Amino acid sequence: MSVISLKDIFKIYNVGGEEVRALDGVDLIIGENEYLAIMGPSGSGKSTLMNMIGCLDTPSSGIYEFEGEMVHEMDDNQLASIRNRKIGFVFQTFNLLPKATAQHNVEIPLIYGNVKRSKRQSMAIAALESVGLGDRMHHKPNELSGGQRQRVAIARALVNNPSIILADEPTGNLDSKSGQEIMAIFDSLYQAGNTIILVTHEDNIAKHANRTIRLLDGKIKEDISKLS
Amino acid sequence: MFSLFFENLYISVSSVLANKMRSLLTALGVVIGILAVTLMGTLISGLDRSFEKSMEFLGKDVVYIRKFEWFGSKEWWEIRNRPNIDVKHAEVLRNRSQFAQYVAPVSDWQTSIKRGDKDINGVRITGTTDEYAMISTAEIDIGRFFSNSESHSGARVAVIGKDIKDALFEDESSIGKKLKVGNYIFRVIGEVEKQGKFLGMFSLDKQIIIPLGTHERLFTRRGWTGINVKVNEADLGDATEELTAMMRQLRHVRPTQDDNFALNRQDPFKDQYSMIKLAIGGTGLFITILSLVVGGIGIANIMFVTVKERTREIGTRKALGATPKMILTQFLMESVIICLFGGLLGLGLAWGGSLIINQYFPSDMPMGLALVSLGLSMVVGVISGLAPSYKAAKLDPIDALRYE
Repeated sequence: MSVISLKDIFKIYNVGGEEVRALDGVDLIIGENEYLAIMGPSGSGKSTLMNMIGCLDTPSSGIYEFEGEMVHEMDDNQLASIRNRKIGFVFQTFNLLPKATAQHNVEIPLIYGNVKRSKRQSMAIAALESVGLGDRMHHKPNELSGGQRQRVAIARALVNNPSIILADEPTGNLDSKSGQEIMAIFDSLYQAGNTIILVTHEDNIAKHANRTIRLLDGKIKEDISKLS
Repeated sequence: MFSLFFENLYISVSSVLANKMRSLLTALGVVIGILAVTLMGTLISGLDRSFEKSMEFLGKDVVYIRKFEWFGSKEWWEIRNRPNIDVKHAEVLRNRSQFAQYVAPVSDWQTSIKRGDKDINGVRITGTTDEYAMISTAEIDIGRFFSNSESHSGARVAVIGKDIKDALFEDESSIGKKLKVGNYIFRVIGEVEKQGKFLGMFSLDKQIIIPLGTHERLFTRRGWTGINVKVNEADLGDATEELTAMMRQLRHVRPTQDDNFALNRQDPFKDQYSMIKLAIGGTGLFITILSLVVGGIGIANIMFVTVKERTREIGTRKALGATPKMILTQFLMESVIICLFGGLLGLGLAWGGSLIINQYFPSDMPMGLALVSLGLSMVVGVISGLAPSYKAAKLDPIDALRYE
């Protein structure tokens, strides 16, 4: 069963009177428990596609269906709600709140999802434990290493049990050892049945995925599934 | 929505605490505004209280016949040749007036009083009759007032104010003791209760009251003379007309001439006072509005800076599911917290200020006004935070996440 279905998606910007097609008729179906890598050079529409999948952006035309919900028809509030319920974001720059503890950072999606305090705390603790940070819960981001910060961010992405985890260059700001640790976490999340979408330009990151699509000039040029 | 409220509160308070100096400087306009409005309120409440007390001294139902008006627009050269008020007319007024309940002639002089090696200067010596006690609102709290027969005799008896008692007798009883008024020895027969200052200007307790007869014999007749007439409050208008007519007749004023005397009442004080109050209130209000407007602009400015600084955070929060309304509330709350903090600081300073004011005349900070001003600072917070918060709420999450 498909989680995400993109049909004939266009995203057209008008830059200085000139039409730029960031996405030029993209069709993409992502199923449950897929491990997908989106690749492509800069300017290929990779980021635009990621924003589209992440419900941060809406298409100029086309149909985007996310578990039966029509994303392309949504307003800002509905988009915020679907991001909150169904998508876990992991960013290259971690994007943790600097003044909040690890646990508080993980609780934020639950606060916006209006989860009660006691339930929120136990969910956040469980998420942090699942990424191996049970002993760092009350540390602030500046007291954590880069790898640990990214693990907090993954815990935050996991905490409300999303339908997909969307990671944008998750190892881009990490040394190779921490990067491997992070990728190992993604691998195990995939093994546990999660749907993971990686956006990367590094082949050795993309090889963790079992399906890779390559974009060029706003079009999908290549869609390769690894047989597992 | 409860947890979101606490999240917002937490963000706001930690943001204010993280930028203590900036928050303080930002809130300064609000601090000054709230300080101005509460201090003004305190001042007016104190003035009201002291004014009421002073007016009580004058009495609502007493007409003071004097040579000059207390408040007047007449030129000095027009009235300087008026003859003095003749205290003997008091008798005539009492006999003829149908409105006068009590009539007391008064003759004031000023001198020093001694007792042993203690003395007190600049004491008002009032010569009057026993009816003065009936007209005055101040009670005799120890001893007695002089009698009708003593009033016109040369009896050397005196009723003293609390300032005299404090200066010459301290903790001793004054009744029956002797003191020296100018060069003459008097016996104290009573003390007037403490009255305080008249409009904060001079002490009403620095007075000694003696029989008119004695006053005329011992002290000069050049004193300031007048007649105090107590009437029924309802008859005040009629009584004033009647007394004016009688005084004109007694002083041989021709029909074509203006009055050469004045009938004074407490009303003009009230008019003057409302003008002063209006001036204080107006000034305070002007300062308040000005500083709140300027303070509000400062807060709006700093909130724009905050939104800019935290663009990435806003992007992250939006990606994690914050709706535009949630972001709007977050920044509005922060702006309100800064203002509330300024308001509380202003109130604290005003409370200190009111203690200082209290040293000069009794006053207290009106609690209602304090609450209103806290409300006012919150309103300033909402208004000045609106545009920056709206900007934050409307940020595109993609641009915000990409913002360096």
